Amino acid sequence: MSAMTQNRVVKAHERIPEIPEKIFLFRSCTGSMEYPGTEHCVEFVLKKLGIEIIKDADQSCCSGYILTCSGYPAEPSLAVTARNLGMVEQRYGLDTYTFCNGCFGYNTELKHILDHHPEYKKMANDLIGQWGYHYEGNSHVYHVQELWYLLLDRIKEMVVRPLTGLRIASHYGCHYLAQQYGILDEGDLPTFHEEIYEALGATPVFFKERRMCCAYAVGRGFTHPENVVQPHLARKFDSAKEEGVELMTTTCPGCNVALDREQPKLAKRGFGPYDIPVIDIGQLIALALGAPIEEIGFNANSTPVEPVLKKLGFLND
Amino acid sequence: MPRENMTEWDNELYQKVDRYNLVPNLEQCLQCGKCTGNCPVAAMHPSYNPRQIVHDILAGDSDRILQSEEIWRCMWCANCYRVCPVDIHYPLLMMQLRYLALENGYGLKYVTPINKYAYRAFTGGLTFIPGQRGVDKIKGLREGIGVEPWPKVSEKAIAEYGAIFEQTGAVDWMKALDEVQAKGEEKPVKLSFMGGRLIDERYDTE
Repeated sequence: MSAMTQNRVVKAHERIPEIPEKIFLFRSCTGSMEYPGTEHCVEFVLKKLGIEIIKDADQSCCSGYILTCSGYPAEPSLAVTARNLGMVEQRYGLDTYTFCNGCFGYNTELKHILDHHPEYKKMANDLIGQWGYHYEGNSHVYHVQELWYLLLDRIKEMVVRPLTGLRIASHYGCHYLAQQYGILDEGDLPTFHEEIYEALGATPVFFKERRMCCAYAVGRGFTHPENVVQPHLARKFDSAKEEGVELMTTTCPGCNVALDREQPKLAKRGFGPYDIPVIDIGQLIALALGAPIEEIGFNANSTPVEPVLKKLGFLND
Repeated sequence: MPRENMTEWDNELYQKVDRYNLVPNLEQCLQCGKCTGNCPVAAMHPSYNPRQIVHDILAGDSDRILQSEEIWRCMWCANCYRVCPVDIHYPLLMMQLRYLALENGYGLKYVTPINKYAYRAFTGGLTFIPGQRGVDKIKGLREGIGVEPWPKVSEKAIAEYGAIFEQTGAVDWMKALDEVQAKGEEKPVKLSFMGGRLIDERYDTE
């Protein structure tokens, strides 16, 4: 057994031994364009938790997504990762927190390659050196969901809008769970999102295909035709509907696009209809912690969230 | 069956595929098939079989694998990698296999359409910037929740991001693919691993 397999699942307090006072928040392209509420709510919750946020306009896209489509060679993505993470190390000396499984997965993978292949690290550093950057590899990449879980007791105390009785199911996202180098939970049967739902007063629901990939699938409509993506998604939603799921959460704006935007298109194909709203877990926590509803950004969703808010009695707030 | 008709074998196929030396342990593959058992694409489309693809790369069945349509179905979910008993990084293998297919003229239609977003990323520093209507919608949504209308990406970030792609030859690589396609030199892909397959009746393709 290799070293990386041994250290796959790590407890929250081992993974993040010290609760950070200040973090670098890595902007997600999809999370700030398709669902701007995601970024906004992540910042809302971090502020509530008393964690200072550093962002930097010099950070670029992580460049991983199109790489996984084989859209360009690997060298630019390695250099972009070295540039972004090197900039954070040099300017702030902080760990990087992402709120997108894509940014998390690609930064982690590419960082792993840079750290284990000196020739790529040198190539990247030679390239980014022209602008004064240097990547050393002495910081970590985390996902904010790890903080939510680590600080669950604090979050529980601050709930002002309990989500009593709401049947929520989780979509964890492959690019978090399929990581080999340290995640919070077991990839086959993760439960830490369900613990978060309970802390917010909701009822966690397990459904058969909960671990199934979102099929956003490296470019739906580009690399993947509908006849690959849609029956796959229908299988997931059929199984969720069977268990009476009322709301689904994600930790990845990319998964959110697939699961939310695709539902009306599935209905047109004769699947469903499902009408299961899909939101980010940061939006869910912000909702429970009393963020103004109009600031959560539910109006970006294609499958309306309003029925759930009405059921909870939050719309007359 | 294609298997019997294949004549082009390439003993160095594995080395050619793993050009970045990111999957050095492929020869440790046990052919156990856990990758295929955990693969959501294999569950829907039985002719896509990661175990078989690993086998064919090691055997050097170059013709069959490069012109295969199946290799474009991987969703990159990495669950094969998660369950692999010898830690073979199948997604990185797939990424590199696709490079080789592209450079041999196959599968360009699966990649060049997404490159318009790559070109936009060079001038915007963000991936998946939509057209003008989409941009206006995003600005409206962002202002509606009380944040600045567009994510803060500096000119410096955009310039350096674009320069990295220029200087690593990535832009030339992409343009070369566009040219092959424009000249009509793209070669057709075909289902290499199964004569027939299960197709959902809603789709009347093939």
